Formats: sequence, C-alpha cells, structure tokens
Amino acid sequence: MTRADAKVLLEVKGLHANVAGVEILKGIDLVVRAGEVHAIMGPNGSGKSTFAKALAGHPAYEVTAGTATFEGRNIFDMAAEERARAGLFLGFQYPLEIPGVSNAAFLRLAYNTVQGARGKDELDPLEFDDYVREKMKLLEMDASFLDRSVNDGFSGGEKKRNEILQMALLEPRLAILDETDSGLDIDALRVVSGGVNRLLTRDNAVVLVTHYQRLLNYIVPDYVHVMEGGRIIKTGGRELAVELEARGYDWLKGKVAA
Amino acid sequence: MTDIEAETAPRGLNEDIIRLISAKKHEPEWLLELRLKAYRHWLTMAEPGWPNVKYPKIDFQNVIYYSAPKPKKLKSMDEVDPELLRTFEKLGVPMNERAALAGVAVDVIFDSVSVATTYKQKLAEVGVIFCSISEAVRDHPDLVRKYLGTVVPPGDNYYAALNSAVFTDGSFCFIPKGVKCPMELSTYFRINTQESGQFERTLIIAEEGASVSYLEGCTAPKFDSNQLHAAVVELVALDDADIKYSTVQNWYAGNEQGVGGIYNFVTKRGLCKGANSKISWTQVETGSAITWKYPSCVLLGDNSIGEFYSVALTNHHQQADTGTKMVHIGRNTRSRIISKGISAGQSNNSYRGLVKIGARAEGARNFSQCDSMLIGTKCGANTFPYIQVHNNSAKVEHEATTSKIGEDQLFYLAQRGIGAEEAVSMIINGFCRDVFQQLPMEFAVEATKLLGLKLEGSVG
Amino acid sequence: MSTVVGATHPYIASLLNGCESGHDQLSWLGERRAAALERANALAVPTTRDEEWRFTDITPLTRVPFQPAVAVPHPGADDVAKFIIPEAGVRLTFVDGMFAPELSANAGLPYGVVVTSLAAGLATHGSVIERHLARHARFEQDVFAALNTARLRDGALVWVAKNQQCPTPVQLLFLSTQKAVAAYPRCLVVAEAGAELTLVEEYASLVDNAYFTDAVTEVAIGDGAQVRHVRLQREARDAFHIATCAVALAKDANYASHAITLGARISRHDLSVRQGGEGAEARLDGLTLIGGRQLADTHTLLDHGRPNGRSRQLHKCIVGGAAHAVFSGKIAVAPGAQLTDSAQESRNLLLSNKAHVDTKPQLEIFADDVKCAHGATVGQLEAEHLFYLQSRGLSEQRARNLLTYAFGAEVIDGIPVPSLVEQLEETVLAETQSAE
Repeated sequence: MTRADAKVLLEVKGLHANVAGVEILKGIDLVVRAGEVHAIMGPNGSGKSTFAKALAGHPAYEVTAGTATFEGRNIFDMAAEERARAGLFLGFQYPLEIPGVSNAAFLRLAYNTVQGARGKDELDPLEFDDYVREKMKLLEMDASFLDRSVNDGFSGGEKKRNEILQMALLEPRLAILDETDSGLDIDALRVVSGGVNRLLTRDNAVVLVTHYQRLLNYIVPDYVHVMEGGRIIKTGGRELAVELEARGYDWLKGKVAA
Repeated sequence: MTDIEAETAPRGLNEDIIRLISAKKHEPEWLLELRLKAYRHWLTMAEPGWPNVKYPKIDFQNVIYYSAPKPKKLKSMDEVDPELLRTFEKLGVPMNERAALAGVAVDVIFDSVSVATTYKQKLAEVGVIFCSISEAVRDHPDLVRKYLGTVVPPGDNYYAALNSAVFTDGSFCFIPKGVKCPMELSTYFRINTQESGQFERTLIIAEEGASVSYLEGCTAPKFDSNQLHAAVVELVALDDADIKYSTVQNWYAGNEQGVGGIYNFVTKRGLCKGANSKISWTQVETGSAITWKYPSCVLLGDNSIGEFYSVALTNHHQQADTGTKMVHIGRNTRSRIISKGISAGQSNNSYRGLVKIGARAEGARNFSQCDSMLIGTKCGANTFPYIQVHNNSAKVEHEATTSKIGEDQLFYLAQRGIGAEEAVSMIINGFCRDVFQQLPMEFAVEATKLLGLKLEGSVG
Repeated sequence: MSTVVGATHPYIASLLNGCESGHDQLSWLGERRAAALERANALAVPTTRDEEWRFTDITPLTRVPFQPAVAVPHPGADDVAKFIIPEAGVRLTFVDGMFAPELSANAGLPYGVVVTSLAAGLATHGSVIERHLARHARFEQDVFAALNTARLRDGALVWVAKNQQCPTPVQLLFLSTQKAVAAYPRCLVVAEAGAELTLVEEYASLVDNAYFTDAVTEVAIGDGAQVRHVRLQREARDAFHIATCAVALAKDANYASHAITLGARISRHDLSVRQGGEGAEARLDGLTLIGGRQLADTHTLLDHGRPNGRSRQLHKCIVGGAAHAVFSGKIAVAPGAQLTDSAQESRNLLLSNKAHVDTKPQLEIFADDVKCAHGATVGQLEAEHLFYLQSRGLSEQRARNLLTYAFGAEVIDGIPVPSLVEQLEETVLAETQSAE
C-alpha cells in the first residue's frame, strides 16, 4: 500500500556504477517507502541486476557517483554484511552453492547474526529448528531441506524457495528480489509469491526485479519502473506492466523518464 | 666408549650411541640387534628426493639421540607464555589439559595421577594393555617381539630405518581377542608422565574380533626444540578386528617468514592381517614446517577394509607432501580415500597416494576423492595419485577437483549478515566435513576451531 | 669433423655409432645437432628408477644395437596402398627414416601451404625451420629426443601460412621394412596465425620384425590458428617405438590430438602441450588398445602457462592378454594462469586377468581462480550397463562385445577423418570381440 506520509526506506539519487571499468548504471533515482511494492522491469542487459547487486554491496560493482540511503544511513559506507544486518535483503537470481555446509547451520548462523545486530535474542539449535520449520510450511518446503548442503544440488525452484525462506527468517525492512520468478514453474511461482505476499507489512517494502510481467500477476506492484541502458526511462502504475507485456520494450527505447 | 652414566648422549650417531640407548633402557639383546640392523641398513640408504618439499640438508651427526627425561620446568600457570594461553582459550582446550600442554607440573594444579590411574584400572579389567613402549618391552617382551617391525620393517625407508635404530619411546597398545576397548585411548594420558621425544614409536595390536579407537596429538600448538621428528606407527589387525587411528597434528610450523618449524617425517602403516579386519586413519594436519607422511593400509586379509580421511592445511611457508597407500592383496578388499588439501599464503600442499591392486585381489574396490582448495595466488596444490591395477575384476575410481573460496560465495554469505571470517570458516568446514565426521565429536569441534585459527587473516 | 664415441652409457654409444657432427652447411642447424649430441652422450638409458619411467622397463630395447638403415629398399605402390588415406590430398612417405618421394603425393596444394621434406624445406623455408626446429621438443633431459635430434638428417615439414586453410588432411607416413634398423623420424608442423590444418601422422610396418623408431614431432600453432592432429601408431608387434610430440600454443590457438596406440612390443608416447598465449584451447583424446605381451606407455603434460586456457583430456586404455598399459598425465597451472579450466579423464578397461594398468593423473596448481579436475577409473565393464542390455534381450557376451566396442569408439569417433574412423572401428571390433 502506498502512503505519501510513509517512512522512506530507500532513497537513491543519481547512482552511477561500473563493472570491470565499464559503466553499467548511468544515473538512477528511486524512492521506496514502507508498505510499497516496486517492480523494476527491462530487457536483458538494461542494468536491473547490477542495480540490485550494487545496492547490496557486491565487491565487483564500483559505485562512481550518486548516493543511496537506507533508513537515512549512507549504505555506501557500509560493508555488505552491515547492509544485510540493517535489514536490506537481496534475493539472488543465482543462489550460490556451498558444498558441505548444512542448510540448517547456515540459516541459523544468518538468523542469529541478524538478530544479534538488532539486539534481539539468538536461538539455540532446538529453538531454531522449531522456528524454521514453521517458516518452511509457508513455502511448502520439506524438512529434508535442512540437512542438505546450502543450495548444493537444489533444483532451480528449490533454490528460489530457499531464498524466500531466508527472507522470512531475516525479516528485512527492504527485500530486493532479483529475477525470483526465473526458472520457476507455475506451481512454484504460486508458492514463492504467496510466501512473499504473506511477508509484506506496512513497515517493510519489496523491490521486484523481473524481466516478465508474469510475477506481477501474483505480487501486485504499486509502481513499475522500466530500465534501459542503465537508467529508469519510465515509471508508472501496475497498468504499465500490462502494457509492456502486450507491446514489448521497443516502443520505449530512446525515451527518458520525464 | 660413551659414558653410560651420562644423562645426555653426545651429539652424533654411531653403534656406540645405539648401544647406549639400548643399555639405558635395559633392553633385551634382540631389540639391540634390531636397532643395529636398522642402523647398518640406514647407512646404505639415501634420503628420499621424490617428495615435493624443499629443505636444507639435515646433519644427522649434529643430533642428540638420547637424553634422560627432564622434570617439568614450570611450577604454575602464571609462568606460562600468555600467547600460548590465549591460543588455548580460542581453541577451547579444557583447563586441565592446558596445564599439561603448557608444560606445567600437573600435580601442582590437579591430581592427574588419579585420573590416569582410574583410566588404567578400567583398561586392565578388560585386559587392554596401554603403556609406553619402554614399559611394554620390559613387561610384555614377547608381544613386542612378535609384532615390532613386522608392518614397517627396520629397513623400510630412510626415516623408518633411523627411527628403528634410535627410537626412545612411544605408545604400546594391545587389545586382546574379542575385546571392544571401553574408551578412546588418547596419548594425552601419557604425555604427563614422559616426553615422547623426537623418534617416537607406536605399536597397536588388535587381536581377533577386538576393536579400538586411538587418538594421537591434540589441537594445541606444540613447541619442541627438536627440528627433526621421525616417528613410526605400526598397527596390526587380526581377523574381524577394527582399529581407528585419529591424529590432530599442530606442531610448530615456523614463523610467517618460514623460519624454524618442525620437520615431521612419519611412517605410519597398518596391516589388515586377518579376514574382515578394518583399519581407518583420520588425520588433521595443520602444523609442522614440513610434513611427509603417508598413513597406509596393507589389506592382506580377505574382505579387509582400509580407510584414509585427511585434512591437510598449509599456510605461510609450510610444505606438506602427504597421502596414503592402499595395497590390496586379499580378495574383496575395499579401500576409501578422502583427502582435503587447503593451501594458503606461500605454502605448497601435495596429495600423494598409491592404490595398488595385486593379482590375487579378486573383486577389490577403491574409491578416492582428493579435493584441493587454494586461498590466495602464491600457494600451490598438487595431486599425485598412483593407480596400479593387476587384477581385472577390481574397480578403482579416483576423482580430484580444485576450487577456491569464491568472491560470489563470500558475497552471498555477507548478504545474509555473515562476516568474511565466519564465512571462510563455514566454507572451509563444509569442504572438510567428510573428514571431520570421522573424528570423535570433541576432536571435531576443536579441529574446526583450529582451521579457523590457522587461516586467520589469510582471506580478504 | 669427427665420429663421436663419447657417450658414457654403452647402449647410447652403440646407438650413436657413426653419428657425426660438424659438417652441416647451416651453422644454426649444426649447433643444435651438436648440442643434442652432447646431451645424448651425457644422458643414460632411463630405468624404472627414474620417476618418468617407473612403470616402463625398456631393457628389451637395449639388447639390440639398432643402426640406421644403410640401404633403403623401395616398396612398391601396392605395398603402400593399404596405408593411403583417400581424403588426404598430400602425403609424404618415409621408409626406414628416409624420404621416399616416389611413394609420396601432392595433389596441388594452394598457395601458402607447404608440405615437403625438411631437407628441401631448408632451401625455401629456412627461417621457419630455424625458428621452430628443436625449439619445442626439449632434449636437455630426454635422451631419446636428444638422439633423434643428433641423428637428424631429414623429416617432414608442414607449414601453413597466416590465415590459410589446408583444404585436405595432410598424411605423414613412416614405414619400417628392415630388421634391427633404427629410424629417427622428425616432423615439424607450423600453423601461422589464423591458419587451419588437419594432420595424420602414422607409423606402420611392412614386416613383422624387431626394429626401433625414435620419433620427434614439433607442432607450433600461432595466434588463433587451429590444428587437428591424428596420430596413429601401428608398428609391428616386435618393434620398439619411442616418440616425443611437443606442441606450442600461442594466443587463442586451438589444438586437438587424437592419438591411437595399437602396435609395438614396447611403446612410449610423450605428448606435451604448452600454452604460451592466453585463451588457448587443447583437447587430447587417446586410445591404447593392446594385447599379448605389449607394453604401451603414454605420458602427457598440459602446461597452462597463461590465463584463460582451457583443456579437455580423455585417455582410454583397453588392455587384453598379458599386456601392460601405462598412463601418466599431468595438468600444470602456472602462477598467474587464472581462469584456467582443465579436466582430465583416464579410463581403463582390463579384458583379461593377466592384463594390468598403471595410471597416474596429476594436478599441479599454482593459481587460485581455476577449475581443474581429474578422474581415473580402472575396471571391467559396468555391471549395470551389462544388465541393462541383457534385460533388453542381448546375450551376456553380446552385451560385453557391444560395450567394449563402445568404450573404444568414443575416442575413435572424434577423429576428423571418416575413412580412418571406419578403419579403426574395424580394428577395435577385431581386437575386442569374443565369440557370441
């Protein structure tokens, strides 16, 4: 739900970023308030994923100009793990595999680290086990996920569910979900988007990065932004996504957001 | 003639020195003969040049081969180097062990004698003999004579020959027929009484149907003024017997510039003599300037099983050339090798292994997995497996991979709030999990911490 | 000018009997031969105490003082016909180490492709030869490469100019015809930047005698050039064959080797591929199919010296009778050769209970951002595969034959010369099939 008086969570101004010396982001402005759902759409190579990773602090993405504040703090002064502890969550397009590390141990460590940073109590393995199983039900995940190595040998759908499970555990203020719908069949998409919807409150926000409108049938955005050539070239309501689905991206090429 | 009353032998090695060692220890004639035979053979041998390690030539005539056990120097924990205590703290070494490891006379702190005594009584009830090899030579000469040097012959290799000639002490362990050893045997219960010295000799025998789990070493850093260590360990498993031998080695590795540190040249071999016997080696090697060891299994008995689980970590200027030999002689023998090498700094870490299937080893099977992880651009990881198959019903599989701790992996963990050091420790422990699972629980926890400590500051 | 009898090792001395140095017209050639002779004199015949020869005992070779042919017979075209590869427009034939122009063919090569004897090539392409000959196959520590270089008189030169494609495969055929003769075949193959070439190098015999082939092949592949190299060793069953092949890859060069080993009593093939430029790619396929009392040893080195290299290796051995196959393959990644991607497989099938195999895949990695893997298996056919075929109605023997054939065919099918694929498939069938 969008409210003009809601608290600003993320404010990005004139963001430029390079990858391996090549400028990918060429001036991005974005304001996300509590309670909002934003969708960032655009063709491949438009810079959507770069934007997401730059906000989360991936070391390969070099910010060359512009500012970004998260709840008033300059996030470019914060290491990636500090941003995570502050409540900025990135759902990965390609979640990494970590052979030999059990999912349960990883989830508990992540949970306790973020809880600790918030001054809240950590959970011991038994308490955590109860807690995580509750969350897993939301995502229709089998308990055997806990014993397997992190994302190791998971199918594409399983990896994405594991991402949303982490979101459910860490309860971020702002979740940026990078192509969370890619590689999901229709049932998995329903489960994953159902999970995201249940996590939405008036105090947090979600930015969906996606190539297709399909996901937006399940998670309805308040704003749709179209990226092209490292800039947001158009912003509209949910109807913009429908129009993009019908007309593709080409008609917008060359336009710059007013 | 060397003065037999002297507490310390003069530097150097000759037959008189060997006679002195034997006389000091009141050994029987046959053992002196074994020592002399080994020494004469050693003289004809050359130091092995094939390991992938470099070190200045050792002057064997500049080593003191015998010195009487010294009393503990320190009187209380207050006298211990605070740096050492800090390390104990980080590793979570129990208080009573800290004192012993730091070289404090233990009875000042607590009554270890009673601990050791209770322990010994319990073992004696079931007929398990666990004592120093010197005591065994004195109290159980027939057993020692029957098995000593049967797995690692006195002339087996350069360092084994040297050890056979001059070994001063070590452990002896005998599990009689049908007995499951009621507790894990740990060298910790022996180090209080006597230093093992630089030429340690261990002999473990499990009779028919017996089983034992033996723990060697500890995670605490072990300092020693002797640079060269050449130990020999022999295991014998008779029919249906089972020996599990676990090592955590954290000898002084030298400083960050590669100065100093122990040369650890060890020969460890187990003989699965009986049918259905099993010998399993697990090692976590993190210390020493140079590690040269290949805990091996000779699978003589039909259906016998050999296992080798290893984590070898090298950092700074450490060098490790380690692995195993699985020699399949009997029918339906099985072996399994899991080796995890981690190289950091400017270190060099090699896995060297042999799987040999003899002509009679019908139906033999081996599986080997040797993975390397490199941390930084100045280290090296090598894999040298030798596979020799002389029987066409055998099946041998070897796999090896090399990986690194990826920037993206670290970013993923950071994005979940996990800082770099913890992330590295998590990835490393995941990498080593198959080996750590083989360790007794409390050992595994300590080993995990130890790897983290050893890699401090290596990543990022 | 002098006859050198300075070898410290008596067998090397016997092989060098009559070898002279110092009368080459070209000073650089004379210097290289003299340097090789000096090394040959200094080195000993390797024994099983040498790590690189630990599984291969060449004592039987050293019982015969093989000498270069004095007179070379002239086999008729009919004798040679069965070795001719129809696809190859160009063929150089050597008999007992000597170039035989009458048995060679040249179906009109385009401008920019030269296939000729080294002796003739010296006159026209001297600078190419000077740049590469004895520069890639290192003889300092290799007595057989040193002997070959010291004995160098003639050989084959294949040169493809910048951006030229050789339109048909080039065949280099080395035939042996006489007992107790030693031949020292030499090939120099140079593909300049952007060139493309398919080469078939073959060693065969017209007689069933004990002779000795000591071959050296050097292949230099320029920036972005591509060479497909088929090597077929089907020497006589009593022969000795020791060969070195050294390949140098420049930036983005591409090399594919298909090495088939069938013949000789004792054979050794040392293949080293050095990536001297970024982004080079190599694929090494090998098949050893031996029986009786044969011993076949393949040593390979994939030396990733520069970043972004990629290599794939598959070496297979099918060993029957009381034969003995050896494979030692090293993947080396130099410091700084980041993003190397290398994988090696050694697969071995033992057909009889007297056959044996020694395999030693090795990794030597000195860069951290690399993907390297190797695997080795030794055994019989997979019981599950057999069962699957039997469950589809095949007899056990038939299923075995089929799987054994398929095991070898995986390598053979990759050979880029159809007539050879066909011929070799028949060979595998004939060598591996039991009565059903």
